[in-house]
Amino acid sequence: MASTAPLEVTTAPRRRGPMLRLFRRKGALVAAILLAASALGAVFAPLVAPFDPFATAGRPLLPPFWAEGADAQFVLGTDGQGRDILSRLLYGARLTLSIGLLSVGIGGAFGMAIGLLSAFFQKADPYLMRLVDVLLSFPAILLGLAVAAIFGPGALAIVVALSVATIPDVARVTRSAAVVVMGQDYIESGRAIGLSNGTLIVRYLALNCISTVFVFLTLRFGQVILIGAALSFLGLGARPPTAELGMMAAQGRDFLFFAPHVATVPSLAIFVIVLSANVLGDALRDVLDPRLRT
Amino acid sequence: MWQQLLKRLLLSVPVLFGVLLLGFMLLQLVPGDPAVVLAGPMAPPAVIEQIRVDMGLDQPLLVQFFLYLGRVLQGDLGRSLISNVPVVEELARTIGPTAELMLASLLWSTPLGIALGTIAAVNQGRFLDQAVMAFSVAGVSMPIFFIALLLMQYLGYYWQLLPFVGRGGPLWTIDGLRHIALPALSLGLIFIGPVARMTRTAVLDTLRADFVRTARAKGLRERVVVLHHALRNALIPVITLIGLQAGYLLGGAVVTETIFSWPGVGRLAVGAILASDFPLAQGTILVLALSFIAINLIVDLLYAALDPRVETA
Amino acid sequence: MKRLLAATAALGLTAMAAQAETITIVREVDSDRYDPHRTTARAASEVLFMLGDTLVALDEDMQTIHPGLASSWTVSDDGTLYTFTLRDDVTFCDGKPMTATDVVYSLERWIDPETKSPVSWRAGDVKEIRAVDDHTVEYELDAPFSELLYQLTQSFAIVIDPDDVAALGEDFGVKGLNGTGPFCWDEWTPRTEFRLTRNDAYSWGPALYENRGPAHVDEIIWRIVPEENTRMAAVVTGQSDVTQYVPYNSLAMLRESPAVDVHISDAAHWTYFMGFKITRDLVDDPAVRKAIVLAVDQEAIAQDIYFGEVTPAFSYISQGALDWNAALDEELLRTNLDEANRLLDEAGWVVGDDGIRTKDGQRLEITAYGFTGSTWQKLFEAVQADVRAVGVDLQLQLFDATIAWGKLATQEFDVFGMSFPYISAGDALNLYFRSENMPTPNRMNWDDPETDQLLDRGKTAVDPAVRADAYGEVLRKVHEAAVWIPLYHEPMKIAQSTALAPVVPHNIYGAGLYKGLDLRFLD
Repeated sequence: MASTAPLEVTTAPRRRGPMLRLFRRKGALVAAILLAASALGAVFAPLVAPFDPFATAGRPLLPPFWAEGADAQFVLGTDGQGRDILSRLLYGARLTLSIGLLSVGIGGAFGMAIGLLSAFFQKADPYLMRLVDVLLSFPAILLGLAVAAIFGPGALAIVVALSVATIPDVARVTRSAAVVVMGQDYIESGRAIGLSNGTLIVRYLALNCISTVFVFLTLRFGQVILIGAALSFLGLGARPPTAELGMMAAQGRDFLFFAPHVATVPSLAIFVIVLSANVLGDALRDVLDPRLRT
Repeated sequence: MWQQLLKRLLLSVPVLFGVLLLGFMLLQLVPGDPAVVLAGPMAPPAVIEQIRVDMGLDQPLLVQFFLYLGRVLQGDLGRSLISNVPVVEELARTIGPTAELMLASLLWSTPLGIALGTIAAVNQGRFLDQAVMAFSVAGVSMPIFFIALLLMQYLGYYWQLLPFVGRGGPLWTIDGLRHIALPALSLGLIFIGPVARMTRTAVLDTLRADFVRTARAKGLRERVVVLHHALRNALIPVITLIGLQAGYLLGGAVVTETIFSWPGVGRLAVGAILASDFPLAQGTILVLALSFIAINLIVDLLYAALDPRVETA
Repeated sequence: MKRLLAATAALGLTAMAAQAETITIVREVDSDRYDPHRTTARAASEVLFMLGDTLVALDEDMQTIHPGLASSWTVSDDGTLYTFTLRDDVTFCDGKPMTATDVVYSLERWIDPETKSPVSWRAGDVKEIRAVDDHTVEYELDAPFSELLYQLTQSFAIVIDPDDVAALGEDFGVKGLNGTGPFCWDEWTPRTEFRLTRNDAYSWGPALYENRGPAHVDEIIWRIVPEENTRMAAVVTGQSDVTQYVPYNSLAMLRESPAVDVHISDAAHWTYFMGFKITRDLVDDPAVRKAIVLAVDQEAIAQDIYFGEVTPAFSYISQGALDWNAALDEELLRTNLDEANRLLDEAGWVVGDDGIRTKDGQRLEITAYGFTGSTWQKLFEAVQADVRAVGVDLQLQLFDATIAWGKLATQEFDVFGMSFPYISAGDALNLYFRSENMPTPNRMNWDDPETDQLLDRGKTAVDPAVRADAYGEVLRKVHEAAVWIPLYHEPMKIAQSTALAPVVPHNIYGAGLYKGLDLRFLD
């Protein structure tokens, strides 16, 4: 019972002050720009990064540009081994974003498939939904711990755990959207003109649900990145010398009290990425699918 | 209500089974022959063979799994590969601190979150609403370790107001309270955002409901309407939703415990996994999963007790 | 608001004063157990020195031997028979009096092959250890062992209670240890903390301490805090009263802090190194090993990671240690990238597209095993970056200290990281280069009969010159073969709260607080 609550569907009209609406739009614009910038920086990291992210480039623990004693060469300073933090940040964002995208993508695909099948084949519905309930009983962090315990710490372990953790919610969202579609005429008409089940599911059902799922995944993306970063922070994720934002923050802990930027810069980067994803997700939801509310 | 509960309990069975299977798999990962490990380095081969038979290690995996189930039911989770201490003992030592930490953080963050959410709902669309919502979105976007590190840096180190290493004395002493303050503050902070958000939605919904309109029509003061009618009814979904966030809270607790050297299950789990101490890792994962199931059950109970609609269903 | 904060702070101070008789010591790692004969970890020794006593005790000068549980002793002229006279007032923590039988039992358990102690060689070639009467122990050797008394000061030689060992079985040193030390076992929570309580009956502390017993403080808590930064902050904020595990980068700042005093002792002989398993593919080639050693920039490591507070090491033991071979000073492999590249080029290793060298389709990729924790993590990463510059791909696999020892006993790695304390060249060489010590602690698989003979000669020498010659030759052999990458020599550094009376750092086995008898709060 409890598990159905967060995806409660409501049709009640909502009033909103014009200011809030404006704020939302503006926020969404800024968020989109920030997210795009992070993604571009990550994708083109090898071209953009001023230094080798894995090699000592200068004196260790140089402060970032806003602090006293900064070296203009190293805009965000250097870490404990004299590696350029900006370069590591770009490479780190690469891995962090990949982990998030992969997990949301894989989990989303499986979840959507389960949701669609569940809505389409009503006989299978109870079984599939029980499976979803079971999956829902494993919080993402627990899955992360378990997978890391079984396969050993690593970026792959995180992707597996986060993908599995994404499946049940996506399946529920997809199902509730698909059930509405199933009730509409065109599925019946499709059947009448002799379309196969596969065609019906892919062409009609999936296409009609995709925007809902997309919005949901956007909202989910930020959470997935947060959990992934936390696992890496704990040492259960990416291994050195690769750069991952959560891991970089963990390494920065060693200098927290006299060179806090080593920990705060990557933490802030995660915050900005996740915040942008959340703000953008909220705005997208309002525009594309106001029924989805948490 | 009982039907609901029964359904929920039945649902827990496959979940439990899955968790136990996971635990069993973890134990299969123990390097070397478990019988040799258990027997110790000085045991003669005959003793090892005896242990092998006793433990059913000569049986097929499926039988071993059921033997494992039997042992778990008797509370035997094996011994830590590292400290040779029974896993159950290590778990017993750590569950208390974890529960303490979670309760302490819920205790201050939930009321605050509910208050903020209500304020936002009442001022819907106005500045206060925007501020609360902005705060809430920022809150759910903050990595927990960032919050914890910042608090440690300022409250713990620069201003030296609170300790940040380990747990002090019994909880009710001043020393105990001082030690739990920073971890509970960190963990609570990530929880305010979601609670405020959920409360806002729930209160908005009830404010639109008929009985609230009736109350307003009766000429009751807005304050009474909001607190006695809207919020009270909104609390039901909010409690459910808080229960649903148990996983989120758990994730935060694991990180918080690690950062503040808080001797809880989360820190134990991370340590065991990093150390490949499989029996201990198995134990911690079992306990965490079980408590998650238990929390969900309790939430259902509360939901059933609070919401008259469930009873009639 | 401000007033409220001040009030909480004041509240905090009184809370601390109320429990002033507890000393909290933070440290980086825990031991896998506290059985003196089955662990060699410094983390174990630190606690064992407080839990138990040895027949003889070592002075801070690392030379003078003081009476301990033995009030006096004699050595026969041929150096093979030691006769110890025991104190008659010593009791275990449970109140039972300690006798010669207990001493004999403890020492015999140490060298018993069944115990599988990795350090039984430290007891010398024992012929027999016997109790002559309740308070006299005779320690008879097959051959003289000039270092015996020094070895008997180590934590492996503490006196334990036979009944306790029998009662606890596998849990001995896990759930308890009944010792005769200034502190008694209270509770061990693995990877969290070790609590010791004062032994009120204690009055037999060695003469190097002003206070012979009982200890000043009621309780000592050894708390595990893996993050060095947190440890440092714990010292500054008074959550840890004393520790030797403060990060180097904070030493300058700690010296500035009014609440903290820092003591440094350079008499510590503790060296960090990485060793090659020379029987493994790739690193079996001396040219490859030499190139890797040459690629590592110890000066930079000492400067960048340790802020110049440690001595970069090019020799396997400190050049100031007893029996160091000074003839090697000029021949040590010092950082030289050109030479490293030349050696690898010459050996046929060609740099590939990814910057890593290959030969006959094989990548120059070697696997390193080591400990997790900030110290080794950073060291390994620095070495990894250094060797990458000459085209060597060093793959790291770091393990929690509790299982790393097991992993390091396998044959599955090419390089390992380790650090160790020693008194002299002989101490270090006998540990690491005896063929009988394969696979651990001779993880290099250094299997050379001539080395074994030289070590025997050094160990049994009665003439110091003969000993120095023999050990000097072994040093030359192993340095020439480039079996280690020496990294740095660590000084003993102790950071303490100024609320404590000044602590004199000890260097025994790197356990800076030794028995902790003089630890006390100033009034």
